[in-house]
Parts: sequence; C-alpha cells; structure tokens
Amino acid sequence: MTEITIAWIALPFFIGFVIYLLPKLDRWLALAIATVSAVYAVLIFLEPFPLEIQLLDSFGVSLIIDQLSSFFIFTNALVTAAVVIYCWQTGKTAFFYMQAIILHGSVNATFVCADFISLYVALEVISIAAFLLIAYPRTDRSIWVGLRYLFVSNTAMLFYLVGALLVYKANNSFHYQGLSGSPPEAVALIFLGLLAKGGIFVSGLWLPLTHSESESPVSAMLSGVVVKAGVFPMVRCALLLEEIDPVVRFFGVSTALLGVGYAVFEKDTKRMLAFHTISQLGFVLAAPVVAGFYALTHGLVKSALFLIAGILPSRNFKQLQHQPIDRQIWIALVIASFSISGFPLLSGFGAKVLTSENLLPWQVVGMNIAALGTAISFAKFIFLPHQTSPPVPLLIGEGSITRRGEHHEERGASPEEGSNVDKKKIQSGFWWAMVILLGGLIGANVFYYEAYTLKNIVKPLITIVIGWLAYLFIFKKLTIKLPRAIEKFDHLIGVMSLMLFLLFWTIWERSGGLI
Amino acid sequence: MLLEACVLATMLCGFFGIIFKKNLVMKIISMDIMSTGVIAYYVLISSRDGLFTPIVSNVDRVGYADPVPQAVILTAIVIGFSIQALMLVGVMKLAKNNPTLETSAIEENNTP
Repeated sequence: MTEITIAWIALPFFIGFVIYLLPKLDRWLALAIATVSAVYAVLIFLEPFPLEIQLLDSFGVSLIIDQLSSFFIFTNALVTAAVVIYCWQTGKTAFFYMQAIILHGSVNATFVCADFISLYVALEVISIAAFLLIAYPRTDRSIWVGLRYLFVSNTAMLFYLVGALLVYKANNSFHYQGLSGSPPEAVALIFLGLLAKGGIFVSGLWLPLTHSESESPVSAMLSGVVVKAGVFPMVRCALLLEEIDPVVRFFGVSTALLGVGYAVFEKDTKRMLAFHTISQLGFVLAAPVVAGFYALTHGLVKSALFLIAGILPSRNFKQLQHQPIDRQIWIALVIASFSISGFPLLSGFGAKVLTSENLLPWQVVGMNIAALGTAISFAKFIFLPHQTSPPVPLLIGEGSITRRGEHHEERGASPEEGSNVDKKKIQSGFWWAMVILLGGLIGANVFYYEAYTLKNIVKPLITIVIGWLAYLFIFKKLTIKLPRAIEKFDHLIGVMSLMLFLLFWTIWERSGGLI
Repeated sequence: MLLEACVLATMLCGFFGIIFKKNLVMKIISMDIMSTGVIAYYVLISSRDGLFTPIVSNVDRVGYADPVPQAVILTAIVIGFSIQALMLVGVMKLAKNNPTLETSAIEENNTP
C-alpha cells in the first residue's frame, strides 16, 4: 500500500506537466486522474487500519491515511471529475486542465500528510495553482482577486511557518503530535495560518469575493474542496490531541453563525453561496469525529450549486424572482438546496444528523440556529419561479441580462454568457456534471442509513418549515445591505493580528486550566 | 535574546508594512521583509546549540548547528520567491490600467 500511496501522490503532478506537453489529451488525462483518486479513496476506505507511513528516516515526511482522509479524497475526486466534464466543451486550454490537476494533487497531499512542513508545501502549491485558475480569464478584476487571495494566504502562511518552527524547537520534530508539547504561541500561530487558509471565522472573509468573482467551475473547485485543505489539518489535530478539540469546536460554532448571518441577508447568488461555505465549514469543524462525511456532502452540493448558479440568467435574486428559469435547472437546484438544508432522502440529511449527534451540549443551540439560517438562505433558491418551455423566454432573459451584466462580461469569465449555440453544447456537459454530483449526493446515503428514524426525520423538517416561513414573511421583504468594508484588503491583513490575539488568549486560557 | 528580538522586530516591520503601505509593490516588498524575518528566525533556532556544519570527521565533539530547520527553510525560501515572482507578474499586468498601483484605487475599480 505504501508504494501505491506514493505513486498516487506523485501522479497528478507528473500528469499535470504531461498535459501541457500533450494538449490533445488534456481532458482525458484530467478525468483519468480524478478516477484514479476515486479508486484510491475506495481502497483506503476498505482498509481496516489507518495507514501510517514514515518516509526517509525520523526527520522525513510522515503520512497518516485513514477513513477520514478517504472521505476528503473522494470528495476531491468527484468534484474534479464534475468540473472537468463541465468544462469539456467550453474550449478551455490545456493550461486550465494542467492547473486543475495540480490543484487536485496538492489538495490530495494535504489530506494525507501528518507533519507541518509537508502541509506547508502542499498549501503553498494550492495557493499558486488556485491563483493561476482564478486569474485564468486574464482580466484586471480576475488578476486583482487572485492577487488578493495569494497575498492573504501567503501572509498567513508566514505566521504558520513561525509556529511550525516553535513546534520543532519544543519537540525536535514537525509531526502533528508535537502540538501537544508546544507553547501556546506555537499553536496560535499555526492555527492562524490554517484558519485564514480554510476560510474560517473572520479570517475567512477573503472568501466571498474570491469565490463569487471566479468563473463558475473554478468557484466550484475552490468552494468544494480547496477550503477543506485548510480545514482538514485542524480536524486531524483535534482528533490526535484532546486539548485542541474544544478550540476547533469553538471556531466551528462561531464560523457557522458568522457565515449564515451574512448569507441570509445576501442578495447575490454566488456571494450567498460563498458566505454559506464559511458557515458549512463550521459544521465540518463542529464535530471533528464525523467531519469526513459532512465534508463529502458539502463538497458535492456546493460545487453543484456553484455550477448551477453559473448558468442562471442573473446573479441577482431580485431579478431572478421576475424571470422564470428552466424547470429542469430548477429541479437540479431544488435537489441541491434540499440536501444542504438537511431534507431526508438526500445525504445532507444523514450528515446533519450525524454531526448533531456528535455535538457537545454547549454547541447545540448555536448549530441549530445555523441550520435554521441555512434553511432560510436556501429558501431563496427553492422559491424561484420556474416554467417548462425553455427556448423563447430563456433567450429573452439572456438578452436582457447581457446589458445589466456588462461588467460581469468584462471579467470575460463565464462562457455561459456566450452565444446560444454554445449554450446547447454546455448543457450536455453541465448535465453530466450534475449526474455525478447529485448522484453522489443520493448514493452517499449508504454511509449512514441508520439516520432514518422518525425522531431524526421530524426535526429537520420542522427546521426547514420554520426557515421557509421566516423567509416568506420576513427575509424576502428585508432589504438590509450589510457593509462590505471589512472585506477590504488592508482589513483582511489587519484582522490577522486580532485573530492572533484571540487564538493566543483562547489557547493560553485552556492550557492554564489544564495545569 | 537580543538577536531574537531583532528577528521578531523585522517580522513585525514587514507585517505593518503590508498593512500601512499604500502602493502594491511596496506591499510585496514588505511581505518579502516579513519572510526574511521568518527565515532568519529559522537560522537562529538551528544555531542554538552551536555553529559548526554537521559533517562527520575526526574532530572532537563540538557544538553542531541543527541541519533540519535549515533544510526546511530552504524549501520555504524557494516557494516564497516563486510566489513573489508570480505576484510581480500580476502587478505588471495590473500596472497597464492602474499606473499608480495604489491599492485602494485598484480595489475600487475591481470590486463589484
């Protein structure tokens, strides 16, 4: 198994460069890599014991691969496959697929490594590949958004490096395990890096702009898997070390509330989804033991939603309410929205039940409010008007938005907004991507079919009904616009210093309590 | 101790530079200063037991420098400079339409 693992880690990077040499085969190779990862994830899932690999002597690279990693790897494989198929006929160059596969490989690497330096390298490769994907349209806006992302993550990673060094100083090893014997400032610095990278709590406020202004397939990858690369190490540390666990859970609850608080007031589809990602990462962190399953369902559903949001005629909810959308698209949208609100029959339900069973008593109230917020924000999608006869009205809709969306067009981004001939072609790729993602969502039910008891089914239904009522009677009419000042670049960097104080204080308080 | 304080001061200077400098290129240079501080810190920690290069020879036991952090920071230096190169390319592209490279102006033009 060790050899297979090493070959599997190296393969995406190797194939990534091969893609650039053989541009004719780009999509096939990319799809093949995603398939290999999916097969590997299944193999790991069936493995009875966690695999611990120590490469190159005691100071070398250490890897831990268990069922938790297999969930994350599987998510990554499915999302990458769906994105490649979605882009099949959009005429993306080999460069795009190369970056997508390198991104896929480096995200996979974060899901298996167990020491801080391998993690650092993997996270930095992610930054570079993600930057190149965000800046793929080469417009000013996309370059600025990418640059902002690269800047924030690189600054956070510098703090992280200092933390890693302090861990080494205390233990003479970079292994995750060393975190327990390290001074509180080491833990605070490392967590600052991971929180910023994973888009958690206030240090994750770079995420909405980045995810909403990228092209839909790129947002799907960023939101579906890339943020999980920052979250996964925290989950791993929480599972390895008892004293980290409450800190991680605390940030889980606070980010779930923060994200959903923004999401319910948001009037733009993609920004709403991005804020909602922040909140869902909170659910992943809130119960580290079952993080894998939640991450799987969230990754699938969020990338599906981003791909759908990309082909909707407008990004503004107000406009969408006056502009019926195609019924088929609406059905896909509703399946995804139902899953994320926790409706039975879809795996989002199982994931929510599993997470809520593993919550600590003090977390329950916060997470229930967050679940309610989720139902409210996705009611915005569910209650959109829809109709069966697509061709004529859809075209009219198209025409009217191109004028409004002129500055969107300037991003040069969305191929979706291209000519109608393209539109037809894109549809087939789009539907195949939906089959993978939504099929995965229904299939994932098998992991936790015990969830289907009467008590479990009633609770989410009540939450959803309350959420819908709240939406129809309150939030639909509200026109509060939350200020975006905190998303300014200088503030994003400045917030890091505040977060550092908060982290240090939390961890110092806890370790003081332990002594 | 004094050296450690200097290294930490370098890091802080870089960090505040990123926040307070208005020009995008200056921000990138500040980030470079911050990463210089981090690298210096690695070197400082690795030399806490001694300064000798750890090579097997007949010499009596002397204080050896720890090779592991040095090896690690070499990777980080390479990654850091490649990221900086990438950023500067991005800035070059942005400079066509925003010749002053004021961050606030660029941000205003490019946020919806």
